[in-house]
Amino acid sequence: MSRWSYFAKRLVLSIPVILFGTTVTFIAIRMGPIDPVSAVFGTQANPDDMERMRRQLGLNQPLWQQYFDFLWDMVTFDLGQSWVVETNTDTIELIKSRAPRTVWMGFWAILIPLFIGIPLGFYAGLNPNTAGDYFASFGGIVWRAMPNFWLAVILLVGLSRSEDILFGFSWKTFLVDTPQVIGTKYFHTAWTNLQAGQIQPMEWARATKQILPAAVVLGSASMGNEMRISRTAMLETKHSNYVEMAKAKGVSGRSLVWKHMFRNALIPLVPVITGEAGLLLGGSVLVETVMAINGIGKLFFDALTEGDMPVAGALMFIFILLLVFINIMQDFLYTIIDPRVGYEGE
Amino acid sequence: MSERTSIEDDAPLLDRIRNNPEPALRWLAVLGVLVALQVGALFGAMMELPPWQTIADRLFGLPLLALFEPVGSVLASVGDRLAEIPTLLSRDVIPNRGHRVPGGQQFAADIAGFTVEFWRWEGTFLGLPAAIAWAIRVTLIYLYAFACLAWFWKGYLVFRNHYRYADWTPADDMIDRMRTHRWGQFGFVVIAMFFMMAMFAPALGPTVVEENIQEPYSYETKYLDQESGEVRSTLVGNANLGSRSRGGGSNGNHGIGTYDDYDRFHPFGTLPNGKDLFTFLAAGSRVSLFIGLLALGISSVIAFSLAMVSAYYKGAVDLGAVILSDSIQAMPRLLVLIGAVVILRGTWIADIYNGGLLLALLLGSWGWPAMWRAIRGPSLQVVQEEWVDAAKSYGQTPRRIMRKHMAPYVVGYMLIYGSMTLGGIIISVSGLSFLGLGITPPTPEWGRAIDLGQSYIATDSWHISIVPGLLIVIVVTAFNALGDGIRDAIDPQSDTGSGGEAAAAGGGA
Repeated sequence: MSRWSYFAKRLVLSIPVILFGTTVTFIAIRMGPIDPVSAVFGTQANPDDMERMRRQLGLNQPLWQQYFDFLWDMVTFDLGQSWVVETNTDTIELIKSRAPRTVWMGFWAILIPLFIGIPLGFYAGLNPNTAGDYFASFGGIVWRAMPNFWLAVILLVGLSRSEDILFGFSWKTFLVDTPQVIGTKYFHTAWTNLQAGQIQPMEWARATKQILPAAVVLGSASMGNEMRISRTAMLETKHSNYVEMAKAKGVSGRSLVWKHMFRNALIPLVPVITGEAGLLLGGSVLVETVMAINGIGKLFFDALTEGDMPVAGALMFIFILLLVFINIMQDFLYTIIDPRVGYEGE
Repeated sequence: MSERTSIEDDAPLLDRIRNNPEPALRWLAVLGVLVALQVGALFGAMMELPPWQTIADRLFGLPLLALFEPVGSVLASVGDRLAEIPTLLSRDVIPNRGHRVPGGQQFAADIAGFTVEFWRWEGTFLGLPAAIAWAIRVTLIYLYAFACLAWFWKGYLVFRNHYRYADWTPADDMIDRMRTHRWGQFGFVVIAMFFMMAMFAPALGPTVVEENIQEPYSYETKYLDQESGEVRSTLVGNANLGSRSRGGGSNGNHGIGTYDDYDRFHPFGTLPNGKDLFTFLAAGSRVSLFIGLLALGISSVIAFSLAMVSAYYKGAVDLGAVILSDSIQAMPRLLVLIGAVVILRGTWIADIYNGGLLLALLLGSWGWPAMWRAIRGPSLQVVQEEWVDAAKSYGQTPRRIMRKHMAPYVVGYMLIYGSMTLGGIIISVSGLSFLGLGITPPTPEWGRAIDLGQSYIATDSWHISIVPGLLIVIVVTAFNALGDGIRDAIDPQSDTGSGGEAAAAGGGA
């Protein structure tokens, strides 16, 4: 099977996956015990108004027709309007206005573990069973076991009152001044100005500093995972035959590590990194809710708790699409990086 | 050793024991002691758990059988009497709730800046201070529980040394490897303590959930009034108002290991509403463990049977399983949990066990794909083994092959992932209850304690959020450690393999 037909097969197989997720979403929001219309009107419901809205939304049609309408709307990306969170706003607009903050946070949440977790893991793998290895490994295990929401709460409080706790070190005035420890205020201005064609380094620096704590929390579990796997990958590579061979040939230590070991040890990390997409999506709901970041995760949470079913359903659909897409990309990447991986297996 | 037994190798176990009864008897004698200590609780459970009254009404309602009614009532009274035998670990034998005796101060001294006071108490064990009485009870409970564990372990050793037919089995090697695996043992001990906390939660807490947390205004507590110097009695709810932890200063704070003004001891301090944090957490561990075990059971059954069937039949069955598990994994678990819990809020299923059942069902049905993925490899491997081919050629049924020839090989891997997923489930449940979802409010849950203490972290009342958070970290780390230990025991070669990594519980959820 060639790479392209494998790719095509993956695409075909993803259709039932998406269909399943969409169907479950439909069942949950249309057949579940929450009546979307009464969520809109609240307690002072006027039966006539409710009936009109029901007709307008097509909720009085037979269920199977509603189902196909829903599927068609999703496939054509006609995601409807928000009813409660921001009344009469297109869901797409709502998502577009919130998404940059989540993407900004997610970007750092992927980057930070990459640049801390992997070097630490490689270091531990290069020096196994030393004090440094034990320290890094144990730290990684405990770090990974910390619940996101707990870490978020502690960081939030610890950083905003750092001058009391960290012997006078003030995080707020550290490097650049950010009176509000965590948020996306500076990011918002930096981003809107960027769209207007202005690049403001100071604003970007502030935006980065404000998002770092949230990104560290969101990436905490990934960091532990990446550290452990890069440690074992490095250990495995270290004992492989071609490294022995290179050593015997007299390749210098630096070139041995960087050219022969580093690159090959990266291979098993690819699925780990892409596999964290689900973790990031789920985690963003918790982190954004705790840290009051107005991103997509918080939008999903608000939409659900306030009964704004079209927004919740649309977001679920988008999350499913994203995950499926990332999974396909991961397998595809893997076949490029490591040609030994067969197409037949899965 | 089996060579010592002179009887034939295939003699049944009972015969082997009859032949050399001494080790088995000694082992059983220890069981006798352990049971005797708790015999009242045993009878208590026997008298309470089956609905005797309804059974008796049904039974004696029949003609003829009604003649035996006196016998029944005699039996019932004997049972009740037996249930009243004091048990070592009940709250009544070593009570810690009492009050100081007026003028009962034995001595007071300043040692290294701390004021050490010793009062005579009334109502507590031997008149000891409440903290000491409580500590004695907790120590005894843990000693007893560990003694029971040791008894099981000894039983295995006795069986292995004296009665087992085989000198050696592959499981021996695994267990021996586990015996030298310190990291895994650390995990095992911590998890054992967590289980014991959940099992003995009502006896462990310095007070009782119902009196302190659920209905504080229906119970009274006695205390020594400092000003008037006499013993008074007040409602627990009022006492709670006086023992709140709201950041210290005039708002009040009762930190780790302190007494409040009502002669009550708080090992982990109090919650912002004055309720006892230790009692809250002990009860919360029950909730977490119940949800975790049920969810794990559901996903294990699905994952295991699916792994067997898909590995045996391969082809279309395997493809179907891949698509189904992909479909489920394409919906992020935490989002599904939040969604389902919100949508089903207020329905009958969200009321069962304070919402715990719903969470367990959701976690179970969304947890199996990861597990199935993890054991798919080993299952596919074992199907290729010659013994499976041999069994097929003998005409054994697929069902039997899966059960006898494939399952034992895969069970070990299930243990690894089971241990690791339990940690993840505990994090998920506490994350949800932190958001105010899932477990309905007055019920204790660890995540809710963190939520309650959120705004006090930087104050004197930091214990409210920090203690439950640390407990979660320790328990989850221990579950991962135990998983590591089992993996190294089952498959020492895979030490560097990435087998268990993916399943390890992360704080992500």
